[in-house]
Amino acid sequence: MRKVCVVGIGHTVFGNLHHLDLVDLMGHASLNALEDAGVLAERREIVDQVFVANMGAGRVNIQSAIASALVSRIGLESCMAEAVENGPASGASAVKLGVMAIKSGMADAVLVTGGEMMNAVTRWISTDFVASMLHHEAEYAYGMTLPSLAALFTRLYMQRYGVTERDLALIAVKSHENAAKNPYAHLKTPCTLEAICESDGADHANPIIADPLRLYGICPVSDGAASLLLCAEDSPKMRHFTKPPVTISGIASATDTHCVHLRADPLILDAVRLAAERAYTMAGLTPRDISFAELHDAFVILELAIAEEAGFFERGTAHLALRRDETRVNGRLPINTSGGLKAKGHPLGATGVSQIYELVKQLRGQAEPERRVRDPKHGMAVNFGGFGNNVVVTICSR
Amino acid sequence: MSGENAINFEHYGEPEHHVYALICPKCGKRFYPSVLICDVCHTRRNPFASAGNAPPEWEKEILEGPCTLLSWTRVFALPEGFTVKSLDFCIVEFPNKLRASGRLEAENPEIGMPLIAHVEIVNEKVNMDHYGFIFSRENYN
Ligand SMILES: [Zn+2]
Repeated sequence: MRKVCVVGIGHTVFGNLHHLDLVDLMGHASLNALEDAGVLAERREIVDQVFVANMGAGRVNIQSAIASALVSRIGLESCMAEAVENGPASGASAVKLGVMAIKSGMADAVLVTGGEMMNAVTRWISTDFVASMLHHEAEYAYGMTLPSLAALFTRLYMQRYGVTERDLALIAVKSHENAAKNPYAHLKTPCTLEAICESDGADHANPIIADPLRLYGICPVSDGAASLLLCAEDSPKMRHFTKPPVTISGIASATDTHCVHLRADPLILDAVRLAAERAYTMAGLTPRDISFAELHDAFVILELAIAEEAGFFERGTAHLALRRDETRVNGRLPINTSGGLKAKGHPLGATGVSQIYELVKQLRGQAEPERRVRDPKHGMAVNFGGFGNNVVVTICSR
Repeated sequence: MSGENAINFEHYGEPEHHVYALICPKCGKRFYPSVLICDVCHTRRNPFASAGNAPPEWEKEILEGPCTLLSWTRVFALPEGFTVKSLDFCIVEFPNKLRASGRLEAENPEIGMPLIAHVEIVNEKVNMDHYGFIFSRENYN
């Protein structure tokens, strides 16, 4: 089976970018990736296929067939191009399809670009749009949202495993600390435990949004784009690229029940565990081999729960590792060195691509010095769709 | 938005609204919400059969009454169309082990507390009110 390498990476800043155009955003990230690979001028000869990851353009930006728009904006005609929608896991799903296209032999080089522009509409509408991925009759119709499901999960998790509000705040503090050193992050302001948890004013600075989840337990609504150029290791095109290639050694996904209440144990995220197991098998690796991870912390509790399902910690113990600083940049297993969804931001379709961008940046040794992982060999990204009903796990290796 | 089985005109001129579990005709397993195939015996449900042109193959059973609170939340950031400051949501388990999500209307909720499930309008929209579960301490019907 052909090996697939990431040979170029591109990113835009994440934030409230509603004054910009969605296709421009995605085009900018795409050209950054092609430039990083050293093939800006040769792009038409290099790129066989484009996959665009996006969740809301059709409804939020009233723009359909977004892959065709992107290709034309950056002068990539006549390559093959399709858009991929898999909720908040659209990004890694598009990367997975890129890997499949290359392994099948249908393409040698694939450009994968994820982008989202949620701030083009009011928060009321974007909340409703994201909630529309819930079960329409049994969840969405009640006014339930993704934060509602995350809050139900968080309450149970806290009760069963003794996770405290302080633990949840610790995750936010760590993520903001990392994001402050990431030039692309949405929320670059560090926050302290005192300000959001341990002072008289904490309730005001960090109000309840979906009890027990507070403001600092939930990711922001971000706009932005990220892009990767993938190429088959055995392709003659490889001679064009200037950066040391990083291999996608494992990539897999798994699904779970649409309704959260249908899970025998609502705290077990089967799709994370199964996707991770499949990715480990493909890569020939185990959790012990992973040097660092980008985990889908749209809600801070997920950093703990996903880390456990991925095999890094025993169930119900990830918060103990957090308390011991094991998941900080200099810890045993750094998690969310980019700032994670919590602070780097979460432009839905861009997120999965951005997570892999971070893996490549760290594996190349190019992350900003203050948030650089020491000598990493393998990095894992977990991109979590719905509330855990469609999850993609990617392992990158150098 | 109303499920195809959610409305049942039992009294002339006075509709009654229920939420139903569906029962697999072969093995008897109960499902909520509905599925198109039983995950135990693989018997299919024909979605056209319940539209009035054929007798439904799968029995419907009213899913209401006593249940137990599994988890709850109070949400302050509601989606488009909801104009109240906050709403409470929860997951419950019925004695037949079926679980459901819905609206919680109970002061000082605690995991494990007994609740009563009944059906009311949970989402009011022009010509498409959605009836669904409200879980409370008392059955106020
Ligand atoms: Zn059956």
